[in-house]
Amino acid sequence: MKHTLYWLQCGGCGGDTWSLFNARSPDLAECIDLLDIELLWHPSISVMGLTELRDLNSALITGKKPLNILCIEGSVIRGPAGTGMFDEADGRPKKDLVAALAHQADYILAVGTCASYGGIGADGEIEATGLHFHKWKQGGFLGESFSSKKGLPVINLPGCPCHCDVVIGTLSMLLSGAEIELNAFGMPLEWYGMMVHQGCTRNEYHEYRVEEKQFGEKGCMFFYLGCHGPLVNGPCNKILWNGRSSKTRVGVPCFGCTRPDFPQQYPFFETRNIEGIPIDLPDGVSRAHYLAYKGMAAAAAPKRLKKRKTGI
Amino acid sequence: MSAKTVCVVPFNRVEGDLKVRLDIEEGRVTDARCSGIMYRGFENILKGRGPLDGLVITPRICGICSTSHLSAAAKALDSIFGAEVPDNGLRIRNITGMAEMIQNDTRHSFLLFMADFTHPHFRKHPLYEEAQRRYTPMKGADAVQTVRESRRILEIIALLGGQWPHSSFMVPGGVVTVPSPNDISQCRFMVRHYRRWYERQVLGCAIERWREIQSRKDLDDWLEERPEHQNSAVGFFLRFSEAAKLEEQGRGDGRFISFGGFDMPRETGVKSFGNKDQFLGAGFLADGITASLDQEKIVEDLSHCWFENSGPITQHPFSGKTRPYATGSESDRYSWAKAPRYDGHPAECGPLAQLAVAGDPLMVDLAKTIGSTVFTRVLARLARTAILLPALEGWLQELADGNGESFQNYDPVNEGEGFGLVEAPRGALGHWVKIRDKKIQTYQIITPTAWNASPRDQKEVRGPIEASLVNTTIENPDDPFEAGLVIRSFDPCLVCTVHAIET
Repeated sequence: MKHTLYWLQCGGCGGDTWSLFNARSPDLAECIDLLDIELLWHPSISVMGLTELRDLNSALITGKKPLNILCIEGSVIRGPAGTGMFDEADGRPKKDLVAALAHQADYILAVGTCASYGGIGADGEIEATGLHFHKWKQGGFLGESFSSKKGLPVINLPGCPCHCDVVIGTLSMLLSGAEIELNAFGMPLEWYGMMVHQGCTRNEYHEYRVEEKQFGEKGCMFFYLGCHGPLVNGPCNKILWNGRSSKTRVGVPCFGCTRPDFPQQYPFFETRNIEGIPIDLPDGVSRAHYLAYKGMAAAAAPKRLKKRKTGI
Repeated sequence: MSAKTVCVVPFNRVEGDLKVRLDIEEGRVTDARCSGIMYRGFENILKGRGPLDGLVITPRICGICSTSHLSAAAKALDSIFGAEVPDNGLRIRNITGMAEMIQNDTRHSFLLFMADFTHPHFRKHPLYEEAQRRYTPMKGADAVQTVRESRRILEIIALLGGQWPHSSFMVPGGVVTVPSPNDISQCRFMVRHYRRWYERQVLGCAIERWREIQSRKDLDDWLEERPEHQNSAVGFFLRFSEAAKLEEQGRGDGRFISFGGFDMPRETGVKSFGNKDQFLGAGFLADGITASLDQEKIVEDLSHCWFENSGPITQHPFSGKTRPYATGSESDRYSWAKAPRYDGHPAECGPLAQLAVAGDPLMVDLAKTIGSTVFTRVLARLARTAILLPALEGWLQELADGNGESFQNYDPVNEGEGFGLVEAPRGALGHWVKIRDKKIQTYQIITPTAWNASPRDQKEVRGPIEASLVNTTIENPDDPFEAGLVIRSFDPCLVCTVHAIET
């Protein structure tokens, strides 16, 4: 039996879908074939008439047709005033379809930060929320006690967008029966058990506190340009984007797009600081020790870094 | 008495959610209303944020043209801060913007549009089996190749901008990236690889040969010339279109708008289409005459959308407000898309509009002889890469040759207003931004799909997609497949329709 997969787009931009098309090995077509997936529906791919789609939805919702994997992309839009009519599907709020399908699915993947935590729009008038979390708090649209048919919480795959390898890797683990260990925010440790900072080619600049103040300099962007690399979980600098690079490698600060409160409420491209020391320190680091360490590290910085001779 | 059917249908394989109400009499569409049915409220999300935050937030409007939103946001900030972008900054902005456009054209054509050719609706079409062999989703030979090749061209954006989609490497004053010589040579390998695939599979001939085609007649001659031409993706499209009569379907009123595209570096060997500032010149084309573009003539009409309109019924984006108001079927309001108008008129945008406005001989001729139909819209999208790739190659070469800066610092100001107009893959995209006290005061966005999927205005004039649907023959009102074909020829993207409605 093939594994059935249904992909639903809600309050989002479609970026997680197009990111999925970046996959190289396997690519998306190979992945569907190799994992023995029957793609029931994907709004950007499927060729299916409206009548057939309505029939499919009703077969899934009534449990007549098994639904192995439900992938949701985009936040659940509840506005205005809880009606959900800022996002409708076939004349009804799309959130109703989300709820109906979620209760029939063996596994649910929240693909991207919007589906996971609400993301863009979580603080806005559209009353967006994540499937199983609202920002840092468990609950979200489906409620704290929710579990899928196989007894699992929603698996959150944040990132704006989510990296293709994370989606394909998670599908592969699920379908092969491997156990997926999650952190406190429902993210698989396999990809979110590391910091975005790890593997950044600017790490040596960070280590010796040689900082970038102006765009295009060689240096670390943590102290002045608002880089969140050492603060947030994600594999960007391990698995790389489009198989090639990452934002931090080319000089774009990490904006913390995997974090449950993305997008932050204070300005991007600047680091909040007290007397030159960032308010938000690398994850889990003690302030007193960090100050002493950074002072000494800056004093120990080699000339090649101070003169920005070391390549990135 | 003829029976009138009214059907309200959602359409997929468009980016986002589009619902269309069709009035059908005797198997023909007599009226159409296009509704953007998702509201995401981007403009209000941006209010009160840091001045550069548009560079991070607006790419997230659209998962398939995030680089275009980034570019519009950066240009708006360039104008507010008075930032001068050095030539290499312009080159990198152009190269990445073109790469995204090429990706979009390939994916939309072969994954989203041609998939319709495999629908049982065409079961009697003589080329139905060939269509299935080529374009069955995720299985057809051309579809699978598209999945593999379209991602490669995006690797250029990753090398020059960190990632695709959703990077923020363009900033006021240029780009943050300083690519190494090896990065650039890697980009050149990718472009060479892509050109080979495009020439072999999509055109069936060298780009230079294709560019010799300047008229409808040349196009017919080209098709007859060699089997490679007939068997290429473009050749197949021409053959399929003929029997499916796509030339006559989805006729628009022939008014086109384009914001042009790709600011010319001060010193460059790349030749523009006759405009000294832009590679493809901006303009408004009506009745066969192209006038230069004046953004003052752009307004949004609120008469048929679900926004509060206590003030004037039409507003220039600088004075525009986005306050969601009604939902459902109240009176004459039916969309989350406002109705953009240029000089009082609706206007179609997209590759055909962009190339016809810029003066590409073939598209000028087709716009004149055939007009704006499903056939010409799709052909323009298939052929645009042939216009873009040589320029992209030229700018990469210049990037490899010179050491100039790609970013120039600017003095941030606390107050100001500016706009950024760019041509996104689907057409004219504009951001209008006001900054006060170092914060975003207002941010209004008009997306390409807002133009195309526009509802009607206060004079009851239909938007371009609505107008193109009228007279479409519908075989089965329960599944009005033919309307989908017309709609998809516009490549609508409703995630963008920002009022953040997805347009």
